[in-house]
Amino acid sequence: MSKRIVIDPVTRIEGHAKISIFLDDAGNVSDAEFHVVEFRGFEKFCEGRPYTEMPGITQRICGICPVSHTLASAKAGDALMAVNIPPAADKLRRLMNLGQMIQSHALSFFHLSAPDFLLGWDTAPAQRNVFGLIAANKELARAGIRLRQFGQEIIEVLGDKKIHPAWAVPGGVRSALSEEGRAKIRAWLPEAFATTKVAFELWKKTMETHKREIQIFGNFPSLFMGLVAEDGTWEHHGGKLRFTDSSGSIIADQLDAQNYLDYIGESVQGGSYLKSPYYTSLGFPEGIYRVGPLARLNVCEQMGVPKADAEFKKFKKLGHGAVTSSFLYHYARLIEILASLELVERYMDDAELLDGNLRADAGINSLRGVGVSEAPRGTLFHDYTVDRNGLLQKVNLIVATGQNNLAMNQTVAQIARHYVRGNDIPEPMLNRIEHGIRCYDPCLSCSTHAVGQMPLRVQLVAPDGTVLNEIARG
Amino acid sequence: MKKNPNPDLLVIGYGNTLRSDDGVGPKVAEAVEALHWSGVRTLVCQQLSPEHADPISKSCTVIFVDAAVDAPEQVQFRKLEPNGSSQLMAHAADPRTMLALARDVFGHSPEAWWLTIPAVQLDFGEKFSPTTEAGFHEALRHIQSLAKQFRQTDDKKREVVANFR
Repeated sequence: MSKRIVIDPVTRIEGHAKISIFLDDAGNVSDAEFHVVEFRGFEKFCEGRPYTEMPGITQRICGICPVSHTLASAKAGDALMAVNIPPAADKLRRLMNLGQMIQSHALSFFHLSAPDFLLGWDTAPAQRNVFGLIAANKELARAGIRLRQFGQEIIEVLGDKKIHPAWAVPGGVRSALSEEGRAKIRAWLPEAFATTKVAFELWKKTMETHKREIQIFGNFPSLFMGLVAEDGTWEHHGGKLRFTDSSGSIIADQLDAQNYLDYIGESVQGGSYLKSPYYTSLGFPEGIYRVGPLARLNVCEQMGVPKADAEFKKFKKLGHGAVTSSFLYHYARLIEILASLELVERYMDDAELLDGNLRADAGINSLRGVGVSEAPRGTLFHDYTVDRNGLLQKVNLIVATGQNNLAMNQTVAQIARHYVRGNDIPEPMLNRIEHGIRCYDPCLSCSTHAVGQMPLRVQLVAPDGTVLNEIARG
Repeated sequence: MKKNPNPDLLVIGYGNTLRSDDGVGPKVAEAVEALHWSGVRTLVCQQLSPEHADPISKSCTVIFVDAAVDAPEQVQFRKLEPNGSSQLMAHAADPRTMLALARDVFGHSPEAWWLTIPAVQLDFGEKFSPTTEAGFHEALRHIQSLAKQFRQTDDKKREVVANFR
């Protein structure tokens, strides 16, 4: 008789989610599913609104990556207006996106994942958290918070608010970087670089002590997708899309995001509202691809800044062709923090960021517009269809967590195969599976956070619904 | 515990403002901000995260304002203590976790209160249910009353907070 293990919800990731692990008659893991049980409905909610409101509305989807949504939305607005935004506005949007990368990756690395690295998988969950990290290395915990604050500071300096800055607009941005803001960012940079150096040292030790995890935490062949510049350099806001395979070969390049429906299909799996996109040419599920830091570093040929490029070369040596272990998302995240800091530093000497020419103006020149930007977790698409008055008729968002859904399923199944034996649900196994999910740093932010909604329940359920085993947390 | 250099009352309203009643915390904080009360600061966010421990540690008293789905149908005002053993450290953190972070990382955990407002409607929307609308006004009255008395001496402030409700 086959059985199902349910982990509900996953701790230390955003939103309400659960994991099902399916066992075959012999008690071996046959498959796994990462379910999202929160219905989004956001796209419907937006219909009938003016497209100009969308950067402000969509940034409220998420408290962690509002910048990603506002930038992708503003780019979709650019496409509806059919304008090229002023160069200063493009640079300012990029600067804000770099701040977003830094703050989001810092939270993921220092406070959600580092406790596992430093304290070990088998430490009790009550200790294996940020407070355990503080006890083990208070300065590291504090530095991690400070690095996240630095990213938030960049966002605040530009957008005037750390969360939900209604600053990026169709056609450009509302305001330039001030001299005072530039001085603040510049003064903080040395500390941010120093913290990143410490993080790399921790990570190098982690790679030595976690060789098994590198082997079994989501280590499988797949496609990878991300933005790249025309010359193949790492991109985070402009450029075109590229797909590579697990051998590292480019299978599609310089794809225009406006035509994404030609090469990305969407499948909805039972039990989840999360859409599972796939590369159309290979079909579903063979067209599974990953996005986010690991994918971005797999699809690009260089980072374009010296310190990050030095690490990038070491990173590339970890794979035969592509780097296929999802455990190495953490490494890729650190390299992206470093690249972001170097690019921010470069922008501090760019006088164009103080320029007042920030916004192109136009009416509706196209009834459909697609905006794409790299969010910390991966490529984000905003696809708007409007009428002649600019009122939204149709909205389609493809978020990073959705694109990584199939990869997360494979990751969970791969880890579970190494640890699940019979009906037992050992705590260390749960910790490893949860970390496997955390490698992707998924964000299910349509969820509410209201008090009383965060129990952890683990169930072993027979096909007839009988609960065979149950573990509760929290 | 180090002496707190900024004896302010900090009102933190958090929640998703696109999720109907879940957005009541931010709306309360915004309403407080608009009143420009002396000695009262506000912080609006969708969810609590580690960097908020810094401004919390620099405050004398903090009121966390949140929507609650599992609470009685009244506004509740509860004293909070730091809780450093919470394992539920997601992208969004618990207020007790934030207090523990403020204490352990920044050296000061302020006196803190949790003002929860009943929430019944959490679908996409920007309007409150009648229950939450009533809770919004009641919560504002509580904070106004506290803030009014809070502008007295530091010692008196503590006494007022201790006796509140």
